[in-house]
Amino acid sequence: MSPEESSAHPNPHRFQKRGFSYEQAIKYFFASNAGLTIVILAMIIIFLLKEGLGFFPGYQRELEVYRVAGLEFVDISRKNLTAHEQLSSVLNRAYYAEINGQSFRQMRRSQEASALFNSYTDQTGATRDLVLNNSRAAGDPNSEMLAALNANFETQKAKALSSLPPTPHLTAQERTSLIESIRARAIESTEDPPLVTTLAGEFAAAQQKFAEPLQGMRATIDAFAAAGADLSSLVSDMTATVTATKEKIQGADILEKDRKTLLAAAASARDPVEREKLISEAKASLADKPDIEGPIQTLLEHRPDCVRLHTALKETSGGILNQLPITLTQPEAARLLKVARNTWPLFIADLEKTPAAINAWKHDAPVPLTSAISSFLTGKDWVTGGEWQDFYGILPLAAGSLMISIVALSLAIPTSIGAAIYINQYASNWEQSIVKPVIEFIQAIPSVVLGFIGILVLGTVLRDISLLDSLHWVPGFPLTERLNIFTAGCLLALMSIPTIFSLAEDALNNVPSAYAEASEALGASRVQTTFRVVVPAAFSGILAAVLLGFGRVIGETMVVLLVAGNRIKIPDFSAGLGTFFQPCHTLTGIIAQELGEVPMGSVHYRALFVVGILLFAVVLTINATAHRFVNKMKH
Amino acid sequence: MFNPETLIRKGLPKGHFKDVAVRSLLGGLTYLVVIIAALLFGKIIIDGAPVLFKAEAPFVDFNFLTAKNETLHVFDDATGKRHQLPASAYNDYLLKHEGATIYNEQTYSYSGGGILGPIVGTALLTIGSMVLALFFGISAAIYLSEYAKQSPFIHAVRLAILNLAGIPSIVFGLFGFSVFVLAVPIITVTPSDRSLLTIPIFIGNAVISFQGWNSSLMAGCATLACMILPVIITASEESLRAVPQGFRDASLAMGATRWQTIRKCVLPFSLPGILTSSLLAITRVAGETAPIMFTAAVAAKDDLPWQGLKNPFEILSSQVQALPYHIYTLAAKIPSSEYTQRAQYGSVFVFLVLVAMLSLGSMILRAKLRAKLKW
Repeated sequence: MSPEESSAHPNPHRFQKRGFSYEQAIKYFFASNAGLTIVILAMIIIFLLKEGLGFFPGYQRELEVYRVAGLEFVDISRKNLTAHEQLSSVLNRAYYAEINGQSFRQMRRSQEASALFNSYTDQTGATRDLVLNNSRAAGDPNSEMLAALNANFETQKAKALSSLPPTPHLTAQERTSLIESIRARAIESTEDPPLVTTLAGEFAAAQQKFAEPLQGMRATIDAFAAAGADLSSLVSDMTATVTATKEKIQGADILEKDRKTLLAAAASARDPVEREKLISEAKASLADKPDIEGPIQTLLEHRPDCVRLHTALKETSGGILNQLPITLTQPEAARLLKVARNTWPLFIADLEKTPAAINAWKHDAPVPLTSAISSFLTGKDWVTGGEWQDFYGILPLAAGSLMISIVALSLAIPTSIGAAIYINQYASNWEQSIVKPVIEFIQAIPSVVLGFIGILVLGTVLRDISLLDSLHWVPGFPLTERLNIFTAGCLLALMSIPTIFSLAEDALNNVPSAYAEASEALGASRVQTTFRVVVPAAFSGILAAVLLGFGRVIGETMVVLLVAGNRIKIPDFSAGLGTFFQPCHTLTGIIAQELGEVPMGSVHYRALFVVGILLFAVVLTINATAHRFVNKMKH
Repeated sequence: MFNPETLIRKGLPKGHFKDVAVRSLLGGLTYLVVIIAALLFGKIIIDGAPVLFKAEAPFVDFNFLTAKNETLHVFDDATGKRHQLPASAYNDYLLKHEGATIYNEQTYSYSGGGILGPIVGTALLTIGSMVLALFFGISAAIYLSEYAKQSPFIHAVRLAILNLAGIPSIVFGLFGFSVFVLAVPIITVTPSDRSLLTIPIFIGNAVISFQGWNSSLMAGCATLACMILPVIITASEESLRAVPQGFRDASLAMGATRWQTIRKCVLPFSLPGILTSSLLAITRVAGETAPIMFTAAVAAKDDLPWQGLKNPFEILSSQVQALPYHIYTLAAKIPSSEYTQRAQYGSVFVFLVLVAMLSLGSMILRAKLRAKLKW
């Protein structure tokens, strides 16, 4: 209805007198509600930036203090020391992997026997204590209460003996004798059953036997470990000095900040008396400029020592490699030895470069803002709340998110697209009416429930599977961590299957039926029609489905927070496929875990918002790409 | 003679085995998903159902649903009998048996009593956020389907909806925290130190202070509403567009205004569809944890939201427990043992039953709707 017509009405509405009709008001009301979406999106961007952008100057200041106080100087030596420790730990692990691998059977037998005994003591411990404590307290061995307690203990004992863990490496006879000896055990006895002791002894003997030929290796490893001792004591000396300097600078920073706040408050205060008070307080808060030069100079006096010790360490380490055995018999031990051999040249090269770095280091070199940004984007450490120095490097988190997505997508893509093709091309109506609701229901499961399933069911099941001897060849088995990348990936696969499935099925549905009909008319078989005509025609839609699934996986929070293991470290890629069984932390998980605990407005708090901005940008890019593919298909 | 029979190939067609192989491979993948899903639910049902159901009448253990959440105390009395009591019953026990010695006492946080607090909190959050989202979402959808023509504004709105729908829930958590918890305006006489801006309104000492609503029910509802808004808009627009154009044309031709047309001829026919699809949105709102972690939820709370309040509006500014956050706490913060399993599996089971009922309801309603509305 045009405005001319309505204004011709004899009794115009009061809005209309001002050239503003009731109808138009309603229209603008609805339009403003539609505009709300734009407002929300804009607010998300503005507020994320508002909280997040302060991070970079704050982090720059932290890095500046890190340099000025000399922490950076100590870290040069520290890094080498850590590398040295890691190398000797890898060698030690190789050594023990070799011995334990050779005495694997004895180890398992001993472990299983003690696991069985422990399961018994865990279950009966409480009732047993009760009997022992009370019989001492009551003093009367014939009391009724003691009888009740004893009976209680006996029932618990019978229950415990009927639910013992399996012992595949013990013979049936051994198991029976072990159970018998437990049953016959006196209640106050604290000794282990004889079989447990025997098997532990056998294991120790086997270890000793297999350690015999490796004595040379043991000595080499010990010599290598001892070579770092001097450097280590020097570093701990220097650490004490620089930490004190850092504390002084930080104290001064806080006073300075207080002073600024007080001055700002004074400027806006109306009452002159109060203003005077605030200004005088601000003056009192004026900090002495902390003495930086003095401690730095004492620190730099260690320079020659530092260089000397590094050269010495390099020379000792250079010879060690040749004294190690060429290879070891156990696969895990051989792998670790190989890892040590591969990283050795890097370690030596680092040591070689160190003296130059030590001599070139300057405490007054400026820290530009770009270095704060690059250290955020490419930093390998996310260390917070430590006493030494906080680092906000995003790589460990991004690596974790990416690894989990890889696992999730490589499980979800084949299943969901396969299922979509099956449902679209082959399934009968009743099959569709079963599968579709089930998949829709999976989509409705809250992610925290999936995380719960992962933590209490899937993690335990996977670890039990990994303990099977027949699966010993799988890399990473047996699992050391119940919660790891793979567990989280499995659950996220389940989460993304509905998304990918329904979008891919839509894409297949949208292929004009004439394509398939034409293909069949030309004599193509069903398989040919499906895979050469229908699927290629729907390809960009399927790709969009996969991308949207990826966006969902990388933005998911609760499952990874609960199930990924939450260890902030770049996964150790030298483990090959076993890398997927290590714990990790993710971009989403870190926000959920740490935001509740950080002080508002701190650098750490702002860092979490920057992670949020990054996540936002990544997910929006993925979704935008996906929608481009969808649009391409429509045209 | 020419025999046409020779032209017909006997036996199985070429490529039949390949066809069968491909078909069974794809079918296998499909049913793998179904079986895995069934196994997971089976596990939850087997472990969780005994908490809620029992063998004798009335078969449902309402105590778990109607009791408050408390710390669980596990201990042995002097006769060796093991007791598992929630904190309040434990204190009663101590009063009754004064001087009795207790052995092997262990406590498990959040594991005793029932889950009334979380259920009520989730219900309040869901109702609040759905009311907000439905109001704004349906209004926006009406504009998009009834008024809008191609324009840069509409283009921007559609782009915003598309992008909002893809934002990860944890980013909504950050957004809700920085906006609703820390920045939105309130009217107060004592503005906080962190207030971004204060505007005097000259009624007593009151000022409008941009200091946020703290972690509260309103902040949580607003965050969840923002998150679910794109879903509601898309679903509502679809339902509105499903109403045939003829209804509108007829109404307009009779001289009705556009608003009258919408109110009488479009909305009544699309409301069932809108409400059905918002049932699915409810399952999402009720299940999200990340957006409410910092904006509304609290792990332990002794009172129900409406207890101990001076006026009923205070309920909006109090923190609440929420079922998904409760499950998160149970799974992440306390070690699993035979005494905590009741709380853990029970809560998950109740939650899953709720979600299943909602999504089943939505499926059935949708099927009915499709059968009924045929124009």
